[in-house]
Amino acid sequence: MIPEFLLRAILASVMVSVLLGLLSPLVNMKGLAFLTHALFHALLFGAILGMMMALLLNNYVLVVVVAMITTVVIVLIIAQLEKMGFTSDSSVGIVSSFVAGLTVLGFGLLYRVMATRPYFPLTQNIVSYLTGDIFLVTLSDLTVLIIGGTAVFFTLLLLYRDFLYLSFDPEGLESYGGNARAYLMVLYVLVGVTGALIVQTVGLITLQVVAVLPGAIALMVSTDLRKVLAISLFLTLAVQLTSVILAFSTTIPPSGIATVFLGLIYGGLLFRRR
Amino acid sequence: MKVIEAKDLTIYYGETPALKDVTFYLDEQKTLLLLGPNGAGKTTLLKTIACFHREYTGELKVFKKPPCEARDLIGYVPQSHVLNERVPLTALEIVAMGGIYKRGFVHFRIPREILDKAKSLLAFVGLEGVENKLFRELSGGQKQRVLLARALMSDPKLLLLDEPLSALDPSARAEVTNVLNKIKGEKGVAMVITTHDINPLLEIGDLVMLINKRLIAFGRPEEVLTDEVIKSVYGPMAKVIPVSGKLYCITGDFHIHRGGGGI
Repeated sequence: MIPEFLLRAILASVMVSVLLGLLSPLVNMKGLAFLTHALFHALLFGAILGMMMALLLNNYVLVVVVAMITTVVIVLIIAQLEKMGFTSDSSVGIVSSFVAGLTVLGFGLLYRVMATRPYFPLTQNIVSYLTGDIFLVTLSDLTVLIIGGTAVFFTLLLLYRDFLYLSFDPEGLESYGGNARAYLMVLYVLVGVTGALIVQTVGLITLQVVAVLPGAIALMVSTDLRKVLAISLFLTLAVQLTSVILAFSTTIPPSGIATVFLGLIYGGLLFRRR
Repeated sequence: MKVIEAKDLTIYYGETPALKDVTFYLDEQKTLLLLGPNGAGKTTLLKTIACFHREYTGELKVFKKPPCEARDLIGYVPQSHVLNERVPLTALEIVAMGGIYKRGFVHFRIPREILDKAKSLLAFVGLEGVENKLFRELSGGQKQRVLLARALMSDPKLLLLDEPLSALDPSARAEVTNVLNKIKGEKGVAMVITTHDINPLLEIGDLVMLINKRLIAFGRPEEVLTDEVIKSVYGPMAKVIPVSGKLYCITGDFHIHRGGGGI
């Protein structure tokens, strides 16, 4: 008999893999690695705001909701800065510096709010946001992940070709009647929402690695788009499930194992290339 | 009918004018060669006509409308090296890109008629058999022809080409020039072509415009391409030599130009 928490972890792994497997090649092709770094700051800032509100209003669902809204607002600010003529990296740099500072200030405020409250379950929660702990996924977390993940998956799938064209030649897309800015906004929002949905299972510290490396590896192995997507999906799924099973038997955090696996595969491929 | 009419056009990046007080025109089915050194404002002017850049004063009409209202009539061909070749798209998919954006926001599948038209345009530019080849695997001349086919997908009345011959070897230049000739002859499309090396394109150019942050000269090639004008832009070593009744310009300016601006 599989323990219920392990079953939840496996289901969460499958959903995370499907989302990252599809998104990761786009992150690489569009050059959004730095944006995922900004996402790290945005999600942490959003989680802190959410924790404060959760403590003050005694409603712990607010952590995920506020983190997601904050992340989406921040990626939209980045997209707006790009619209104003800043490069993608400059926009991310400007926003990240502000958000990183606000995150540190937020921690100070969170500790003050925590000091005014009796016992609460958030200590474990903030740790799970940083390192990710798929075994702590509750049924309501899983429900949010599956419903939100399914919506993201179908949106990504339907617009995948447009995102490829956007990555290939945004000016061309614009000149043939497409709205490059609208596609870019949708893509950024999808990246932000995906980050918010999977952060509890993957962890903020390893989020950037698992969002970038599967796609990078797949693009090193194949030039055929279908194969790239298949490799990225399979790799993410294999690494996630293996890490869950290993973590179950060794009690090592699964996100750490997944990240090390991906790093080994990527490093191995790079060494082989030399 | 005038395809382009510009009067006292000054284009800015922020407060700084990139190109000042330019007045020119282009008639239907005619080709304008836009010549100037690196940083002269050629790409900026092209992008303003294409409605990628909107900071300007003076008058600019494309088919008697502001550029952004005439977008459906314009085909823009960028330099191939500014494209992101990490995206594994095939030649056919790239050509089809030129035809799908007049139909909705979601393009999960490319409609059959768009694919058929893309195939016939690939054949028009002499690229049968490369439909399923990745763009990055094509030669420089083939890439440029794929981009020309893509621009023709929307049946434009005006083609804007940014350095279509840059970084190409002589045979590839000849291939692309032949296709440009064919487009001019069979499609009757007006064209504006920016270039550093005007010589391969002189045969198809009806008008030549020399700019260097301002208008230096505009008119028919034999009026504009004089020693005096060429030297004023490219320095004392530049010259124009008539060879067998044709003009040959030596400017010494053959480096690869990277376009500025962006979305």
